[in-house]
Amino acid sequence: MVTTGKSTIAESAKTPVLTGKSSLVRWVQTVLTFTIFLAIFGAAVSSRLFSVIRFESIIHEFDPWFNFRATKYLVTHSFLEFLNWFDDRTWYPLGRVTGGTLYPGLMTTSGAVWHLLKRIGLPVDIRNVCVMFAPAFSGITALATYHFTKEIKDSGAGLLAAAFMAIVPGYISRSVAGSYDNEAIAITLLMVTFMFWIKAQKTGSILHATLTALFYFYMVSAWGGYVFITNLIPLHIFILILMGRYNAKLYSAYTTWYAIGTLASMQIPFVGFLPIRSNDHMAALGVFGLLQLVAFGHFVKTKVSSDKFRVVMIVSLALILVVGVAALFALTYFGFIAPWTGRFYSLWDTNYAKIHIPIIASVSEHQPVAWPAFFFDTHFLIWLFPAGVFLLFLDLKDEHVFVIVYSVLCSYFAGVMIRLMLTLTPVICVAAAVALSKIFDVYLDFSHTMKNKKVNVSNLVSRLLVSSTFIFYLVLFVFHCTWVNKMAYSSPSVVLPSTTYDGRTVLIDDFREAYYWLRLNTEEDAKIASWWDYGYQIGGMADRTTLVDNNTWNNTHIALVGKAMASPEEKSYEILKQLDADYVLVIFGGLLGFSGDDVNKFLWMVRISEGIWPDEINERNYFSATGEYRVDSSASQTMKECLMYKMSYQGYPELFGGQGIDKVRGQTILPSDVLPLDYFEEVFTSENWLVRLYQLKKEDSEGRSLKDAGDYERSTTKSNKKKNFKKPDLDLRV
Amino acid sequence: MVSIFITFFLALCGNVYAASVHASKTLVLYDERLDQLDSFSNFLDDLKSREYEIDYYTANSTADIELYEGENRLYDNLIVLPVKGKHINKLISDKTLLQFYNDGGDILSVTSPGAVPDSIRLFLNQLGIFPSPKGYELVDNVQGSLKIGSSEYRGSRIYEAKDGDSISLSSSSAALLDNREQIFPILAAPRTSYTGATSKDPWSVGSQGFLAAAFQNLKNARVAWLGSVDFLKNEFYGSNGNFVQEVAKWVFQEKNVIKSVSASHFHADGTSYEEVPYKIKDTVIYEVGFSEWNGEKWVPFITDDIQFELKMLDPYYRLTLKPGRQEGEVQYYTTGEFNLPDHHGVFTFETDYKRDGFSFAVQRDVKPIRNLAHSEYARSWDISNAVIYLSSIFSVIFAWIIFIIFFITASPAVSKSVNTSKKNN
Repeated sequence: MVTTGKSTIAESAKTPVLTGKSSLVRWVQTVLTFTIFLAIFGAAVSSRLFSVIRFESIIHEFDPWFNFRATKYLVTHSFLEFLNWFDDRTWYPLGRVTGGTLYPGLMTTSGAVWHLLKRIGLPVDIRNVCVMFAPAFSGITALATYHFTKEIKDSGAGLLAAAFMAIVPGYISRSVAGSYDNEAIAITLLMVTFMFWIKAQKTGSILHATLTALFYFYMVSAWGGYVFITNLIPLHIFILILMGRYNAKLYSAYTTWYAIGTLASMQIPFVGFLPIRSNDHMAALGVFGLLQLVAFGHFVKTKVSSDKFRVVMIVSLALILVVGVAALFALTYFGFIAPWTGRFYSLWDTNYAKIHIPIIASVSEHQPVAWPAFFFDTHFLIWLFPAGVFLLFLDLKDEHVFVIVYSVLCSYFAGVMIRLMLTLTPVICVAAAVALSKIFDVYLDFSHTMKNKKVNVSNLVSRLLVSSTFIFYLVLFVFHCTWVNKMAYSSPSVVLPSTTYDGRTVLIDDFREAYYWLRLNTEEDAKIASWWDYGYQIGGMADRTTLVDNNTWNNTHIALVGKAMASPEEKSYEILKQLDADYVLVIFGGLLGFSGDDVNKFLWMVRISEGIWPDEINERNYFSATGEYRVDSSASQTMKECLMYKMSYQGYPELFGGQGIDKVRGQTILPSDVLPLDYFEEVFTSENWLVRLYQLKKEDSEGRSLKDAGDYERSTTKSNKKKNFKKPDLDLRV
Repeated sequence: MVSIFITFFLALCGNVYAASVHASKTLVLYDERLDQLDSFSNFLDDLKSREYEIDYYTANSTADIELYEGENRLYDNLIVLPVKGKHINKLISDKTLLQFYNDGGDILSVTSPGAVPDSIRLFLNQLGIFPSPKGYELVDNVQGSLKIGSSEYRGSRIYEAKDGDSISLSSSSAALLDNREQIFPILAAPRTSYTGATSKDPWSVGSQGFLAAAFQNLKNARVAWLGSVDFLKNEFYGSNGNFVQEVAKWVFQEKNVIKSVSASHFHADGTSYEEVPYKIKDTVIYEVGFSEWNGEKWVPFITDDIQFELKMLDPYYRLTLKPGRQEGEVQYYTTGEFNLPDHHGVFTFETDYKRDGFSFAVQRDVKPIRNLAHSEYARSWDISNAVIYLSSIFSVIFAWIIFIIFFITASPAVSKSVNTSKKNN
């Protein structure tokens, strides 16, 4: 009995005091809690279904298409085949060791769900499992947030935090139905891991620490963002040690977590030996060592007098610090520990990536966040958040330190990189729930007023006023969330919503139109060259081989495609022929006014390839004489000659009968601006010209350059006659 | 042994009339204002004796000469003899000729100094053959007459010159050739000659000019150009006849036609890629068969310069194939066993056999080579270096168990002391 845990003892101790009606109260409480959770779960799921209702059950955006494809591979092959999957249909001709370079947590989970449903007689299409995956897991996130917050404050705050978590747009943005991305499961695992961690460090229970480690392992298997946990937990311990709050519970919780968690995480092929070789993981190792020393110090302290201990401590601390730092530098210098990654540097210096690694800077979700986004994503929680953190400061228990550290770190990261908004959102919900429940604790507590027969009117009014204000905010929050979810976060971005002049909504389905064209009209082993953004979609929807995709593991290969896009066509042709490409796909938004098209992304292609071939590609050459990025007749010659320009605008002015108006850039394209295309021929252009497909022409069988062949085809016999009477200018034949 | 067999075989076939690998419906365009058909009778009779089906059109006739009926090519071969004037016929422009050629039609084109129609000239220019324009003529002031000795023969695969062979012409134009690899010169102008016209710069000088040249496009259609109508004429047929017939045989695909067949690759133990996909460092064999058209049927093609490449962006292997087994009409060439590179990726297995005078034969197959699976690496106990790690792991485990045993067995003494201290308190 005694070993079953402290909570049991506490409850059994309480029950005798509240006799009789307490059982009824507990019943009501249980039913209420259950109902509330059911409601929260329902809200979480249903607010994520806008995308399915407004559009259809479809996988969204870019990365989810790869995850979906990988999941399909998993359910059609065995797990071991999946683990050893060599994918020859991406990164042609390099191929990708996909099984060893992905986080398999998402796919294995949905694969398991699919198998489970099949086993119990519910054969569901794997696509539907994938589409509904994120909403289903958001309910579990809410539950984990409840338990987490309950450990921080109480179950009232927990319920609020769970409700916030269920519908907050900052989280929904990555977990609507169809958004089948690693984050869909990772945030759930993040909260569960933290929840167990708080319990473990509170109780020192090895069971909880082991559970933390297991969920940490699950998290490692699901998302690269696990490094956040790897650093946050040691930081928590480190700060507690600095605060002089070391105790045996921390020791058992941390060492258990670190030992099991690290060993477990190394089982993921993609992670491998990173936990002992990468700088990102060194903090956890350092704190692990420090904890041993501190524990030893405590042991020594009990044995020797305090004066002697102080000397011992100062000397040993100085020694450890010097040795530790020197070792870290030496190991990094000699290459035993991998240096920090570029993404890590760009977290501290927002300009770092822009200068050194354009490929990281070119990703839109790596951009710094715009401040209004905080309000947009969290509404009134954003200003309750600091208040909550402040309230936690007042209490400052060990677990509060964790929340404070979490919120400070993440606030900074979210400011630097927009995608990290996602990791900030849970702590915003928790801190805001703490603040709000504190307010409600004070202002909704009428027990004092009830007891006193004399009614204090001003007191009652102020209580009612404050509580009703906040209840009003809560209502407003629900409306805001619903609106944001509906308007901003439910678009699959594969299908674009648009409004006609008479106000009807129409769906622009050019992407799928083009991808299905590819699927139906090209050879099964055709290779499609496109900018990496569309790689996953081509692989997922068109089922064709791509040269580069969103898994940007090989910068040179991407730069090569960028160079092909940025070079004059004879050079591009050479590059693409070397890569065996058959088709080139470009996205052109000029007709539709779709600003995320390739011409707007083009400068990144130039920059990335300039990084590798600085003497062939020069960004300046693509600007007009006045230094502007133009596409009309004042565009530079390099710009007009490059493949991207020619492909985007080929035949465009003729569509307007002479003067093509590019709606994205607001410029006029004349027929004389668009040079003829000799090495490629247009094979498909989608309904709204969003996707344009070109085929590489076959090599001229007479051995002429395709430009010469094209010139010859265009020439009339008369012009040929005169020119060719001259003696040709040939090299000596040897 | 094999070569003896082949010579024997060829000798046997020598008596049988040779024929082209494809059908031989031939159109001859000539200009009756310049030459009568009778003056080519020797040449044409030789063709007919090899079952050529020949239609004749005179160029200045008003009849429409159709090379195509709708999309279909009407003729397999086209012989264009010198035509006076600018056009051959209004229906046969340079672009039509190019189209005909691209569709697989073989063309023997003959011009003479006074007759270089624009359509022929422009067509040849596209192939990198630049015949001297009308009015230019090959002059050799040292020799006096145009007698081209055996030292001027090029491209022995088309016509193998014997000592004492010579070509006599009364007049000829010469062409400049560019350095395209698909051009095979057949006959160069004498070193002491030049091509000139009155009051104009010479067109070609010395052996930079060519009297006959051949071209083969990537689809293996062939063109031969002869700089003088005298090559074909009966009056010079004694000295030139053999040469011209060899050129005609080449251009109409009677000889030097090869094909590569059934390229395959498989594991060294014979299992195919489909059964067991390749992984890095597997031992595999590549083989490819070659056949040659001997004028009557396909026979094994014997050579020693066929190369195989294993490429991924760059060649990882370039192996000269060794002759292997012979099966019927096919001679197989094999790499023997070789190890795939220690690099995963999508590789191209390729033989690209392009030799002067022969048809081009390309075989390409793209196959992925996968990385090692998790279970295919050497196990730790198989690696001698790992012994130190393994022994340290097991010694730690052992030490820990010993420690636990001691800890447990020694603990009653500790708890006793605690108890006693408690009691003392």
